Amino acid sequence: MEQVVGPKYGFGGGKAYDQSFAREVYEKVDAGDELKMCMQCGVCAGSCPLREKMDYSPRKIFALVRSGQREKVLSSQAIMLCTSCYSCIVRCPRKVPVMEIMHGLAHYALRQGYKPREETALFGEKFWGNIYRLGRVDEKDVALRYFLSHKLGQAIKLMLENKNMGIGMLRYKRMKVLPERPIKNIKSFKKMLDKAKAMGKGGAV
Amino acid sequence: MNYFLYQGCSLEAGGVHYTVSLKAVAKALGMTLKEIEDWNCCGASISYVGGNDLSVDILAARNLALAEAQGGMDIVAPCSSCYIILNKVNRKLQETPELLKQVNEILAEGRLKYSGKIRVRHLLDVLYHDVGLDKIRAAVKKPLRGVAVAGYVGCQSVRPYGEYDSVEKPVIQDRIIEAIGATAVPFPNKMRCCGSGLFLTELEACYELVRNILGDAQAQGGKIISTVCPMCQMNLEAYQGRMNKAIGTDFKVPVVFITQLMATAFGLSRKEAALDRLLISADPYLKAA
Repeated sequence: MEQVVGPKYGFGGGKAYDQSFAREVYEKVDAGDELKMCMQCGVCAGSCPLREKMDYSPRKIFALVRSGQREKVLSSQAIMLCTSCYSCIVRCPRKVPVMEIMHGLAHYALRQGYKPREETALFGEKFWGNIYRLGRVDEKDVALRYFLSHKLGQAIKLMLENKNMGIGMLRYKRMKVLPERPIKNIKSFKKMLDKAKAMGKGGAV
Repeated sequence: MNYFLYQGCSLEAGGVHYTVSLKAVAKALGMTLKEIEDWNCCGASISYVGGNDLSVDILAARNLALAEAQGGMDIVAPCSSCYIILNKVNRKLQETPELLKQVNEILAEGRLKYSGKIRVRHLLDVLYHDVGLDKIRAAVKKPLRGVAVAGYVGCQSVRPYGEYDSVEKPVIQDRIIEAIGATAVPFPNKMRCCGSGLFLTELEACYELVRNILGDAQAQGGKIISTVCPMCQMNLEAYQGRMNKAIGTDFKVPVVFITQLMATAFGLSRKEAALDRLLISADPYLKAA
């Protein structure tokens, strides 16, 4: 239902924001309800190391959520450009866990089929795959799986670009040569993660 | 001084020189470190792609529950990412009984239970507040005189709560650098982000971050960068060559862990200090000391 506000103050009629997306975020996105505390001061944007690479700053993302811009938010590059430095969190005067909301939005967007930053999404997927399969992360295994999930030409290009670093890691014994083995209680570990996935908020579609 | 060591995945591979030097330093300082048996990955910075909040909470909670069942000592996390996640989830569980209940329902799948009694601490915290500078000074046999070190703390090491040092201008690492005889140069960019887990997939953006950090360290006269996080060490050191080619810089700055400097100052061997594991050698600066 379209709601018109304002006319009685003599400024003409304005359209009220469609709040359905904001409600969706509060309910379904991890840490999404914390966004309610944002007062749009922009300290998060000023603190963010990758702000200049983002299409919208965290502050703008929150404004877009409130104004119902679902498409813009879920397909924005910004929500997957977070380095997790916590600067926004420690500086926010309203104690909004900005980074956690950005992560929540990214997780939610990916579950909805959006791929804001395709390469990071792919890498993150392989990273989580390692955790689920082994209980731990094997750096070389994640990197290899990430490279090989590209088309052949691109996979080779990526491997060549990272060759010197790989050789360096091997030479200075900073790479595990043998494949990582799963943790002892991997079975119950997987059950825990399955259960958390089902019980948690972020994955709800 | 008995602790659980939460080693984490990086310290077994790319950051193995942190483990080697840490164990040598711990021995010299009389700290006993016990591995948490059957620990799992903390999820690091990129876990949000595959896991929801509750899944990530479980990753940490399982480790906390294991530590509680295996003796309940404080957990020392040398990796800043492990530290921040374990500590953050621990606080969440201690302060939110509903979440603790939900987490325990899930942990029951592995016959585990967490009551909230564990303390999670960063290595810097333990070195400064438990061991103390006096004891560190007393262990020094070959003070690193004249070595100008830029102490890079990295963003996650003292955040989000600032329980043991300032979240904006931390000083503890610098005090340790001075305690082992080296000079801690002023380093305004010591808390600037290195790019963390985004490095491989967002190279261009991360090069700029690293260039600013390395450039600042050099401008301040720092010859070696010291750090306390395996991700920082990797991003600042292992990508330097590639970055030089890509953006036309010519950095050749050694990036070491604080424990490597400590081990060297304690008179331990090059191997115990794991100086043989660096891609960019620190020897030219350390030998002069």
